[in-house]
Amino acid sequence: MSNAPGNETGQTRISGFGHCLPEGVVDNAALAAEFGVEAAWILSVSGIRTRRCVAPGETVCDLAHRAALAALADAGITPSDLGAIVVGTGTPHRQFPGVSAEVQKRLAAPGIPAFDIHLASVGGLFALATASALCAQYGPVLVIGAEVMSAVLARHPRVKETGILFGDGAGACIVMPGAGAVTLDEIRIASDATFSDALFMDFGESMVMDGRTVILQANRKLQSAVSDLLGRNGLAPDDIDLFLFHQANLNLLRQVGGALKIDPEKVFVNLDRYGNTSSASLLIAMSEARAAGLLEPGMRAVLAAFGAGMGWGAALISCRAGS
Amino acid sequence: MSTVEKVRIALEAVARAPVPAEDDASLFDAGVIDSFGLMEFIGELERQFGVKVPDEELTPRKFETIAKVAAWFDARKRG
Repeated sequence: MSNAPGNETGQTRISGFGHCLPEGVVDNAALAAEFGVEAAWILSVSGIRTRRCVAPGETVCDLAHRAALAALADAGITPSDLGAIVVGTGTPHRQFPGVSAEVQKRLAAPGIPAFDIHLASVGGLFALATASALCAQYGPVLVIGAEVMSAVLARHPRVKETGILFGDGAGACIVMPGAGAVTLDEIRIASDATFSDALFMDFGESMVMDGRTVILQANRKLQSAVSDLLGRNGLAPDDIDLFLFHQANLNLLRQVGGALKIDPEKVFVNLDRYGNTSSASLLIAMSEARAAGLLEPGMRAVLAAFGAGMGWGAALISCRAGS
Repeated sequence: MSTVEKVRIALEAVARAPVPAEDDASLFDAGVIDSFGLMEFIGELERQFGVKVPDEELTPRKFETIAKVAAWFDARKRG
C-alpha cells in the first residue's frame, strides 16, 4: 500500500447492520452435475457447501433494499434521516442509474447523494471507506454491498473453478459521524491496475477470472493490508478479537490467516453457507458477526477485502459501550 | 546445489502429484500444483532462495514449469 496519508476516521461509527440472502439454496451436488465435477471436489477447493440464488424476477435491487431496511431498523433511524446512499456492486441491474437510485426511490429518500461504486468483491469495503469520508458533511450514510452473481456466471465445465464459487446476497450498514458502540478507527483502501485483466466482465458477457493470478495477488495484498493496518496502530494479531475477511475462498482465508499467525478461531467464516457473494460478503459477514455477539464492548475487529481492479484495503473497528 | 535442484526441493514440499522428471513439463497440467498449491510453492521458493518475489512478478506463467522458475531465480541472481 502507498505511504500517502490515510483516512484515520477516529470519529466515525457504524450504527446499524443488516443483510439479506435470497431463499434459493444451491448445494454442491446440483453444481457438480452442471460442471462435470464431484461435489467433494467443490468442497475441497473452496470450502463452500451451499450458496444462495435469487428467484426468477428477484433482482439485486430487491436484495439491496431488504438489507437497507434491516440496517435502518437496527440503527433506529428512518430513511429521512439519511444523508447519502452508497452501494458497492459489480452486478447492477442495468448500466445506469445504478442500484443506489432504485434503493433511494424505494426508500423515498430524495435530495441526498446516491451512487454506486462499481467494483466486484471489494465494492463493500470501498463503499464503507467512501461513507466514512462523507458522513461528517452529509450525516448518516447508508452503505450497501449487493450482488446477483448467479446472473453473470458462465455455465460450462471449462470455467468450473469460477462457476462453483459465487452466490447472491446483500449486506448493509449505517455509517455516522462520531464515535459509538462500533467505531471505525481507521479504514484504508488502495488499487493497482497491473493485473486488472485477471478479473473482469465485458458488456453483455459473463465474468472472467484468472483464478491463479487473483489468488496470488489476493494472498499478498490481504496480508500486507492487515499487517500494515496493525503496525500503524501498534497492534499484533493477538490484540484482535475477530477478523472479517471478504469471503472469497476458505483455502485463501486459511493461507492468509496462517501467514499472519492469526488464531483460526478468530477468522469469521460464512462462505460455507453463502459462497462468495463478492462485494456483499464483507457487509453480510459484519452483520452476522454483530448479530452473533462477536462485536461486543471491549472487542477489536479487522475487516479486509480484495477484488477487481485490483483493489484492496483493511479497516480497524473497536467496540465500546454506547449507541 | 543447482537452482533446478533447489526448485525441485521446494516443489516436493507442496506437490499434490508426482513431480515430473522433465523440467519443462507444465506443473498445472500434471496436477502437481493447483491455484492454492501455487501460492504455497511460491512461499517455499522464497524460503529456499531467501528472496521475496515482488507482487508485480507474481504471474502463474512464470511458475508453470521447473525450468521457468529456475530461470527466473537465476536471472534474479545475475541482475
